[in-house]
Amino acid sequence: MSSSPTELLVDLTMPQMGVSVVEGTVAEWKKQPGDRVERDEIICSISTDKIDTDVESPASGRVAELLVEVGATVEVGVVLARIATDDATQNGSASSAGTSEAAVALDAPGDAGELQGDTAVEHDETATERTSVPPARGPRRYSPVVMRIAGEHGVDLDQIEGSGRDGRVRKPDVVAFLERERQGGSQAAEEPPMHIESPYKPEPITPKPPKPASAPVAAPAPVVAGPLGPTTSGPLSRMRQAIGGRMLESLQTTATCTTIVECDMSAVEAARASSGFTYLPYVARATVEALREFPPLNATLEGETFTQYESVHLGIAVSLGQGGLIVPVIHHAQDLSVEGLAGRIKGLARKARDNGLTPDDVRGGTFTITNPGAFGAVLATPVINQPQVAILDCEAVVKRPVVLTDERTGADSIAIRPMTYFCMSWDHRALDGALAAQFLTALRGRLEATT
Amino acid sequence: MPTMTYLQAISDAMREEMRADERVFVMGEDIGAFGGAFKVTDGFLDEFGASRVMDTPLAESGIVGTAVGAAVEGMRPICEMQFSDFISCGFDQLVNVAAKMYYRQGLSVNITVRLPSGGGFSGGPYHSQNPEAWFMHSPGLKVVAPSTAQDAKGLLIKAIRDPNPVVFMEHKHLYRRVKGDVTAGSYETPFTARLAREGEDLTVIAYGAMVHAAMEATEDLGGASVEVLDLRSLVPLDEEAILASVRKTSKVVIVDEANMTCAAGAQVAALIAERGWEDLDGPVVRVATPDVPIPFSPTLEQAVLPQVDDIKEACRELLAY
Repeated sequence: MSSSPTELLVDLTMPQMGVSVVEGTVAEWKKQPGDRVERDEIICSISTDKIDTDVESPASGRVAELLVEVGATVEVGVVLARIATDDATQNGSASSAGTSEAAVALDAPGDAGELQGDTAVEHDETATERTSVPPARGPRRYSPVVMRIAGEHGVDLDQIEGSGRDGRVRKPDVVAFLERERQGGSQAAEEPPMHIESPYKPEPITPKPPKPASAPVAAPAPVVAGPLGPTTSGPLSRMRQAIGGRMLESLQTTATCTTIVECDMSAVEAARASSGFTYLPYVARATVEALREFPPLNATLEGETFTQYESVHLGIAVSLGQGGLIVPVIHHAQDLSVEGLAGRIKGLARKARDNGLTPDDVRGGTFTITNPGAFGAVLATPVINQPQVAILDCEAVVKRPVVLTDERTGADSIAIRPMTYFCMSWDHRALDGALAAQFLTALRGRLEATT
Repeated sequence: MPTMTYLQAISDAMREEMRADERVFVMGEDIGAFGGAFKVTDGFLDEFGASRVMDTPLAESGIVGTAVGAAVEGMRPICEMQFSDFISCGFDQLVNVAAKMYYRQGLSVNITVRLPSGGGFSGGPYHSQNPEAWFMHSPGLKVVAPSTAQDAKGLLIKAIRDPNPVVFMEHKHLYRRVKGDVTAGSYETPFTARLAREGEDLTVIAYGAMVHAAMEATEDLGGASVEVLDLRSLVPLDEEAILASVRKTSKVVIVDEANMTCAAGAQVAALIAERGWEDLDGPVVRVATPDVPIPFSPTLEQAVLPQVDDIKEACRELLAY
């Protein structure tokens, strides 16, 4: 395909999506040669061994050629397609990854000092130049006051639309967001139900139609009529294949045991009544504290190398419905309060559902919590998320009659309490049952003493 | 409450103090029979006599040096520099002798040095400077710079009574342009900042003539609520007032009529960077005169001195950030 003399060809390259990713597979082309494409419009989906994501066009124009076929795996930086653009101003965007970095750098506040006499004039030019910088993509940068307020209130800034220049999140944006949340939040009401929430927190019913599954599926499965009645069949999605492989590997590699404790959630229930959070952030906080007490559980076992971590990088399993399951990680979870954890869990779950996790979001976990109890089950034996050595499973909180003993008189009585089981699978290669039981007992103690 | 110009308020302050305190006297070039280059001491010779209204030779070093000696002997001299630019000739006496006397010998040097400063009237490079930063950088001196008639009088009275050498920056451009109600009789204005206007979205920090430019520039900025802080005193600097305003608005434009490098506003910016960091929602923006001498040409002078439109533009930029 030839280009006219006024056209410029802009390369679309396999993006770098995190420090450890070196290659990616083209899962689907959303545009074909000759199609019109706008800058930042999604042009293809790619899969890596960590994550599936969409790639946006670096320029507006026409798709000149596609250089990599669906299913092909290429290294980061390899040209995937060329966009023919007639807009000369696009010629800086030779590589999409490079553009966003440059934009971020130019967007940084502050000018280089001027020593010449005509400082005032120089200053104006710099200001104009700054205004004309295209919107920065990639990681957003936040001002100190925005970071501070977000930290104090456990706000995930990714949730906030910025009203400043190039979509910058400003202090008034965060303050307004907090105000909306405080008032029962239209923002919160727009949220689709989160399966990771506890069943005892009623989930808002949204009239919105469910979003089409965002996980890329190769092709719609054909419906076939046969002797067994109509069936649908097709290849497993890339994600299902990846999950399957990892789960099988875990069961084949680890010496999986499961230990279970019963816990009275009355104290957490009382705390939730005032905070409005689900059980999960309370469980996460207590887990982090218990892990600090029992570091051998906050660890990884790779081959014969057993590594304990001082920081807790807490994985939270998030179901993507039919699509599968992903475990985003809250890094340095020990630095976060219950409020902070609640904000991060919410933000990561949202990112997961929007297919917006980066490889760094799912990397480096040292312990995982999974919460299928939301669907009403009371017991499960979770599979360890390798190379971690344990996984905590939260089951449904159910009212049960329990026997209570009065500490003072020793008299027994029967009471109705919100009870749950915590089922922890652990790797017998790394630790023994006594430690698992001690850890779970410590976790229960913390949750029952929640204030 | 009488209405006075900025200039009349300065005269009034000296008259009040000279009437009340025998130790207060004025000295300077042509301040007696002529009444001063700007007529600040007009009529003083008749009222107080030549022993308390002293015409001096054209020798700033001699004026400040004499005042230091008189102050050590217990007097309270007020020195007038005809233009602030000329203080460079008396710099050694002020910076090395007056400012360090208490530190070296425990002697109070109760002098006030009045510096008619600032540009805007085609005075050129020798009659338009704003040299306050020279003195801010010299420990032992206090530096104040009023923007209103009421503050001009109160700050000058406070300066005359202060046991330390005080540099009093009076802006020539405001002398007859700024008028206001001034409290009759004697009163002191503290060496602290003044909230010229309260606002929520942005703070403009200024002093002297730039307070008026800042007020005009931010009167109507598309509905933005702009706070204007008039520093009034540069040494001591009212750090708490500055930080309180930054806490509230999180965005700051600092205006200096002085040359940009190491100006008073640079100190304010450094303070905010150091102690107001977690309250900032945008870069600290400065508007100041570029590092060039002040031109004679009215057009060029306007191009270098911060204008109302420059401040407006800086505020709009930062508000949009």
